[in-house]
Amino acid sequence: MKTIIKFAAFAALAVVAVSCKKESKPKANGECHIEMEYVWSMNNLPFTLNKTLYHPMTKDSLNFKTFKHYISNIKLHNVDGTIWTDQESYYLVDLSNPSSMKIHLTNVPEGEYDRIEFTLGVDSLRNVSGVQSGALDPVNNMFWSWSSGYIMIKAEGIFQKGNFSYHLGGFSGLNKAITQKNLAFPNGELLKINANASPVIHMKSNPAKLFHTHGSAEGAGGSKIHMPGSAATVMAQDFNSSVQIDHLHN
Amino acid sequence: MIITQIRTVGILAVLILLSCRRDYIEPPSTRIIVPDYFPLPVYKFSAEGLSEDEIDLGRRLFYDPILSLDSSISCGSCHSQVHAFADHNVPFSMGVGGAIGKRNAPALFNLAWHNNFMHDGGINHIELVPLAPITDELEMNLPIQDLILRLNRNKKYQAMFANVYGAGTITTSQLFKAITSFQLTLVSSSAKYDKVLLGADSYTPIEKRGHDIFMNSCGSCHQPPLFSDFSFANNGLDSVFKDAGKGRITQLSEDVGRFKVPSLRNISFTYPYMHDGRYYTLREVIDHYLAVGKSSKVFDKRIDVDLTLNESEIQALLKFLETLNDYEFIKDKRHSEPKN
Repeated sequence: MKTIIKFAAFAALAVVAVSCKKESKPKANGECHIEMEYVWSMNNLPFTLNKTLYHPMTKDSLNFKTFKHYISNIKLHNVDGTIWTDQESYYLVDLSNPSSMKIHLTNVPEGEYDRIEFTLGVDSLRNVSGVQSGALDPVNNMFWSWSSGYIMIKAEGIFQKGNFSYHLGGFSGLNKAITQKNLAFPNGELLKINANASPVIHMKSNPAKLFHTHGSAEGAGGSKIHMPGSAATVMAQDFNSSVQIDHLHN
Repeated sequence: MIITQIRTVGILAVLILLSCRRDYIEPPSTRIIVPDYFPLPVYKFSAEGLSEDEIDLGRRLFYDPILSLDSSISCGSCHSQVHAFADHNVPFSMGVGGAIGKRNAPALFNLAWHNNFMHDGGINHIELVPLAPITDELEMNLPIQDLILRLNRNKKYQAMFANVYGAGTITTSQLFKAITSFQLTLVSSSAKYDKVLLGADSYTPIEKRGHDIFMNSCGSCHQPPLFSDFSFANNGLDSVFKDAGKGRITQLSEDVGRFKVPSLRNISFTYPYMHDGRYYTLREVIDHYLAVGKSSKVFDKRIDVDLTLNESEIQALLKFLETLNDYEFIKDKRHSEPKN
């Protein structure tokens, strides 16, 4: 008897839980891509790993061996006022893995879109909700074991005086290495999603900006940051501010 | 009983409707009996989780040295059931290759009631706890991606994971959830203290006297029935802290020297005490609290600066603390290393 009641109660709970979900039925299975492009300094020098680059302001030499960062919670704003939300929207962009630099969005409803929203980093909720999978799986070595939270940006390499290693994270209070972006497509252009096209959103960012406030790997932030804090937040926000939409390819 | 259950679930359903979130669901396993006088667990049980097979898988993983670099150490090596899943009475545990850890291994029980884990509270969810000891160079020293490869190559685990989570690649999420499900079953609520509360036993006069002293002087941080409020406190162990404790996590100066208030359940099995295992006996711990209030150190405001106990009061307090030992828990075969 007890078991039956328990079962009935849980079945009721399950129904309640399911009914909580809002149904969203895309009108068509359109798709598009986001292509991540990285340049070094405002002179649009291509940014690549394992290449000695000179900081545009300090002239320091920097050779990046690793550059990875998270993009999450992508949304597209339709001109009709509706907003399309990418499901389970977590992407680890890793410059050593070219395929990760192209984010494939599927099941986008047909239509015209004028803005994109996204989060640079991983939203605070996923930092406190236990073990995650996919791009958020701890096997990616982007999750701190001793102080729970995602490394939002990982940048490692060599500068004149040795190694630099930046594991930039933090999801709460003042130490937030997360930036919300809500950007209109440039020049009033519209992203046109339909069954016959696979348009591309070109995003551009500048890793030299990591050092915008701190100056260099010898500057105020030091050459190693492995925990949340103001130094990490400054570097992350500096880089995140460089992430822009460059152009669309319809 | 049944009516209470219906009412409880009914109220829960209303709450869920209101918040559109599963805030609390009764543990869907007979393995986790929550005593009426316990608060609601912090852990959000899901209705579908915690099958016997999942718990059994978690138990096997807990006791399997496959989780360490050279397959020499399991979770159970340093979290021993006879010590209420603390280490074998050493201040610091030994990891792979004889590496020595930096803090005393905590006992494991009633984990579903914890908000955060480790002495510094750095880990914010029970599922993420295994990542620290598995990957720490001073502990099991095995990169998590290597462990996942190992498990995926292991025929026994392929079958066990497929049975619980469905066919496919074994993932970190499955591994941690299995270990979590076993750890959630480690509920300790059969000490003499519990039996007295349920009317099945009674304190001796000296235990009763100790109980009253405890409630007066210790119970504000070591709050019954879990015997901790799971807050963080600087209990005045040092003037200068080599280990910043919670300050290491939050980087706040006021958190330096704050450590998580441990539960005092199973206290006789878990010595040595404190985050660094500096005290081997409860008498030393009591002497610390008798002295610290009168010292010039900085310490938590809840520590009673006027605490004085005479010898017979100390003996009574020690007798009461022994009533927190749960002998059924440390002998429960369901928590023990699997025989096959």
